[in-house]
Amino acid sequence: MSAPEVVFDEVSKFYGEVLGVNRVTLRIPPGITSLVGPNGSGKTTLMNLMAGLIYADRGVVTMRGLSPRDPENLMRILGYATQYDAAPRGVTGFDFVMTGLLLAGFSASEASQRTQRALERVRMTEAAPRKVASYSKGMRQRIRLAQAIAHDPEVLVLDEPLNGLDPLVRAETIALFREFSALGRHVILSSHVLQEVDIISDQVILIANGMIIAEGEIRSVREEIHEHPSQFLIRCRDAARIASLLFEQDHITQIQIQDDRLGLLVMTRSRREFSRALTRISLSGHPVESVVPADENMGALYEYLIGGDR
Amino acid sequence: MITGARVNQTWTIARLQLTRVFFSKRSFWVYLLALFPSVIFFGHGIESKIRSDRWASRATPIAKLEAIRIGDSEEEVLQRAGFPINDHRNEGRRRRVRGREEQEVDRRYMMYFDGRSRWNLRFEDGILQSKMSRPLLNFEEDRQVFAGVFQYFYLRLAIFFGCLGIFMNLFRGEMLDKTLHFWFLVPARREVLLAGKYLAGLIASILIFGTGAALCFGIMIWPQDAAEVSAFWQSYGASHMFWYAAAAALACVGYGSVFLAAGLLLRNPIIPAVTILFWENINGVLPAALQKLSVLYYVQSLCPVPPPMEADAPLLIKLLASPAEPPSAAFAILGLLGVTVLVLWAASRAVRRLEINYGID
Repeated sequence: MSAPEVVFDEVSKFYGEVLGVNRVTLRIPPGITSLVGPNGSGKTTLMNLMAGLIYADRGVVTMRGLSPRDPENLMRILGYATQYDAAPRGVTGFDFVMTGLLLAGFSASEASQRTQRALERVRMTEAAPRKVASYSKGMRQRIRLAQAIAHDPEVLVLDEPLNGLDPLVRAETIALFREFSALGRHVILSSHVLQEVDIISDQVILIANGMIIAEGEIRSVREEIHEHPSQFLIRCRDAARIASLLFEQDHITQIQIQDDRLGLLVMTRSRREFSRALTRISLSGHPVESVVPADENMGALYEYLIGGDR
Repeated sequence: MITGARVNQTWTIARLQLTRVFFSKRSFWVYLLALFPSVIFFGHGIESKIRSDRWASRATPIAKLEAIRIGDSEEEVLQRAGFPINDHRNEGRRRRVRGREEQEVDRRYMMYFDGRSRWNLRFEDGILQSKMSRPLLNFEEDRQVFAGVFQYFYLRLAIFFGCLGIFMNLFRGEMLDKTLHFWFLVPARREVLLAGKYLAGLIASILIFGTGAALCFGIMIWPQDAAEVSAFWQSYGASHMFWYAAAAALACVGYGSVFLAAGLLLRNPIIPAVTILFWENINGVLPAALQKLSVLYYVQSLCPVPPPMEADAPLLIKLLASPAEPPSAAFAILGLLGVTVLVLWAASRAVRRLEINYGID
């Protein structure tokens, strides 16, 4: 049985003089993992290293116990939807998916059935007899996804898989990722739509300039960032009074009362102290309706760790 | 994975790749190369047929033409053989140096046709000076011409550049099209992928150039005298066809492997093309040991008819066109296959290391 982790151990990759990724060490557990970083940060390099399209100059990559240098076995457990169209000219969507399965060694009937199933899952059954060349950007995205999932892989690697999809298909595709993830499989994707990353990811990997900036669940990554005060949004009836009580605390750095005077945006250097203080205030007769973290999301993490330029 | 499954994978890859090779826009000029000599031979055959049909009604019996002697006068010839098919007298007089004295000579040319051959008669001052007969179609000569076309055009140029186009594109072309990752993402060893693509290139090139050469040979034979053709087939015709086909196929095997490897190792096809073309063409003047590292060395030994070479051709042309010391057919085949295996082994090492990098993200 293969080890259920994707492991990068001190992996470096250079394109001549240009840095791809540098000394990357990662252990990616099953679930949905998003690679986030600006253009040229090394996201696709990491994905190509996983799929064996490029090889590490230093270090070792292991995909659930398999080496990327062993495509004969690796590609049975890995499906990769790249940014590029791989379909030969003139080929139909059905044949494109079917071809991959035939090459994987499935019989013609088995390949045909799997192709049908994969096309249904990405809602491409009707368009399947048409040539890939006539597809829209979103349809091309979906046919690549169909090809990546057709052989039921344990690891799904997807480069910007939600680009060009309409909201309905986007929701269905996210549901598909969750389904894969629930089966204990890996779904590793790159995205620059941070709201989406928030919604779908079990864990995130932030990468910039070929180096891993942070990795883990969004909340735990946020907790590790001490330079930026944590932000909380409080809804309450007595906003001004609660604000004045909170200001007595040393760890509070800033408070903004919202226009409707029923809410506060509080910034604190200590999440624990803030929690205790708010509990005390609430018990002392100043009820609090809700408290939600305001910067426990990818947008904030990105801004704090990488900078505003996405 | 068991060997049978890998063989199946190789065949599946080859089958899929074949469509791309045959119908790719890049392959169009390969068809032109393969068919070009057939067009020339077809033109030659058609021209001969048309002339033969046109002159048939005015043919002169061969006995009358054979009776004409050097020294006969124009009137005697016309009386004996009748009006010629072609009669041409020089306009004005031409000067001729006889010793130091310049004389003016009246020249006249007549052409007769005996149903198969042209007879060219040259008169000076009304007296027959020379008589030459030449068949409209000369099977022996045409076979020599075909041998020259096969060795100088097919082997050295058409198959060489055709294989360059087909085999270098198998990997490099897909890298340029940004589609190579499709093949790298299938659960197959890279060596299996290499074998599948090589097989596809081989099938395509052998079909294209084998058909091209066979078509050319057929068109060369088509207008010839039926009795001569029948005698040819009954003697060594089938053997000639076989060895031409074998030479064409083995040239594809050899050049295919070389250009497949070159496509994996180098980005620019011009460099290997020029280098290998140069190496192949100086093969005849290389030391014996180095000659064996050439595809041409093996395949030209298999050709059944040596190519024609004019006695007064420039020395450089003679040197470049001269074949290397011919090995036996068995040695040629085994040697070429040996070289091919060696080159494919190097290619398999290269394909294992090959990375896809269409551009950094």
